[in-house]
Parts: sequence; structure tokens; C-alpha cells
Amino acid sequence: MSDLLSPSSAWYNDFIYSPLFAISLTLICFQLSQQLYLRSQRFALLHPTIVCAAVIALLIKLLGISYQQYFESSYILTLLLGPTTVALAIPLYQNAKYIRQLFAPIAITLVFGASFAALSAVGLAYAMGASNETLLSLSTKSLTTPIAMNVSELIGGHTALAAGGVMVTAVTGLCFGPLILRWLRIHDDRIWGFCLGITAHGTATVLAFERNSKAGAFASLALCLTGSFSAIVIPIVVSCLK
Amino acid sequence: MIKGLSILLFFQCLGELIRSYTQVALPGPVIGMLLLFAALCLRGGVAKSLQNASQSLIGLMTLLFVPATTGLFFLSAQIMSQWLAIAVSLVAGTVLSLIFNALLMKRLVKMHE
Repeated sequence: MSDLLSPSSAWYNDFIYSPLFAISLTLICFQLSQQLYLRSQRFALLHPTIVCAAVIALLIKLLGISYQQYFESSYILTLLLGPTTVALAIPLYQNAKYIRQLFAPIAITLVFGASFAALSAVGLAYAMGASNETLLSLSTKSLTTPIAMNVSELIGGHTALAAGGVMVTAVTGLCFGPLILRWLRIHDDRIWGFCLGITAHGTATVLAFERNSKAGAFASLALCLTGSFSAIVIPIVVSCLK
Repeated sequence: MIKGLSILLFFQCLGELIRSYTQVALPGPVIGMLLLFAALCLRGGVAKSLQNASQSLIGLMTLLFVPATTGLFFLSAQIMSQWLAIAVSLVAGTVLSLIFNALLMKRLVKMHE
């Protein structure tokens, strides 16, 4: 199959290995995935990042491009995650006024909640016999993707597994978050947003903004605080354990 | 927009420099974020260009991590052999965290008010 689609002419190889092709492919697949997600009324398992990644994986396999090659050609997209991380300072600053209103509950939930999120995943995986590299990659599952990837790289985790773990967490939060919070009779928008934001970061923030702006602000605040807190604590804990 | 993006990149550079100079165990962009947050607190407001640049980038985030997420389909056999442990810990860990966080914060808010 891959022979059929990849004739060995030089111009063809130059083209499919170029950043131009990798980025066009990513942007086109992403838009189609987004359409599908909106048409399905935001069905969590059809989250555009996951569908898009799966389609790209299939296409590059058919075209005979290695993942490494694709990742390098599309690197400018990954590179932009750096300034995106820095940009999180703005929602953090804009929602910081809520911290003063509810300082003790926010601070305590942040410390215990963010630690519980990392430890529960690592603990379960450890009990089921996962390797050290896997455990390190799972420890960042409740951080927003750009921070998770940075931290994972720093502590020696597997970047793709860390990014994937964040996505699975996000989808789980989308599927079960609202149900669990209703079951626990959480009606306070502040708690609703903050708890989703701590556990399921970016996608949860979008979901919380759909509920109302107060829930959204608290989810966004939780995302930024969890990202900063865990980015500081996880590398320290890991270096102490090593 | 260009001005805002330059500010973001400047703080990322600052973060990376501090990281390589001090060998602190924190990713450069995260140091940049914390420094920018401190700068905003000192300045007492967000400039329009910075607001626009940050909103655009954050809006693009789901697209930006597509290349990294694609790697999930090319994991080594050694990691793939642990798929069950990975899936269970991610899903169960997330559900447990949500319950833990919600109950904890509900109790704390009640005590606070």
C-alpha cells in the first residue's frame, strides 16, 4: 500500500517531507475534525485533537512518513506552545481577584487536589506494574498540555505519552465531570469550575465557560494555578526520589 | 498583536535564560509565565496587544498539541505493553480526583462562609 502512494521521484519526496506539507496536512485535518466535533454536539470521544491526531497518524503511515519526520516538519506548531504557556499569565492575572475572595478553600484544594490528581494516577499505574518512564509521564496528566510536555521532558518522561495522558484525562473529565458533580450535589459555580479545572484543565475550562462565566473563570484560575504549582512541585519531588 | 507576541517571547527567553543559568528544576516557559504574572501585578493591568496575542495563542492550543498527541499512535512496544495500566490509572485517577476535589472544596467553602 505504501509503495503505491509513495513513488520514489525526488520532487515527491521533497514535497511530502517539507514543513509546508506537514503543516497544511495538520491544519486541514484539524478543521475537518473540528467540524465533526461540532456536528456531533461536542461528543467527548470525538475531541478534535484526538480525531485529528488519529487521522494524521493513519495518513503519514500510508504515505510512508515516519512520526519523527512529521514531528520535525511540523515543529513550528509545537514551538508555539512555549509562548502559549507564558500567555497563561494573563487569565491567571485576570482571575486572581477570586483568590482573595476565597483564599483558604482555593489554596487548600489546590495543594491537596493537584497532589491527589498526580498521586492517584501514578499510584494506580505503579500497582499495575507500569515502568518508571510511564509513571513519570503520567504524573503530569492533570496539567495543561504545554506545561505537561515541558515538565515531562524535564523529569525524563515520554513527551508523547504525557501529551496523550493529558488528552485522555481531558476526555474523561468531559464525559464524567458534570455527572459526578451533579451526583455529589455541587451547585456552587465556583466549586464546579475549580474542581473541573484542577482535574481536567483546558477542555474543562471550555466546558465551564459553557455553563457560565463565573464557573469558567474559576476553571481557568484552577488550570493556571495547578499548572504553576505542579510544575514547581513535580520536578522537586522527582529529583528527591532519584 | 506583534507587540504582544514579542512580550510573550521576551518572557519565555528570560525564563529559558534563568533556567539554564540557575539550573532550577522548572521549565523555562513556566518561569516566563510566573515572571509575566509578577510584571502584570506590578504594572496593574494588561495591555491590549498582549491581551490579543495571548487570547489568540490560547485559542489555538488544541491545534498546537496535535503533533505531540499524534505520537500516541507511535509509542514503543515497551510502552504499549502497559496500555491497560495506563488507561485504568488515567480514567480511574481522574474520576477519583474529581470526587476528592469536589468533596474537599465543598467542605472548605462551607467552613469559610
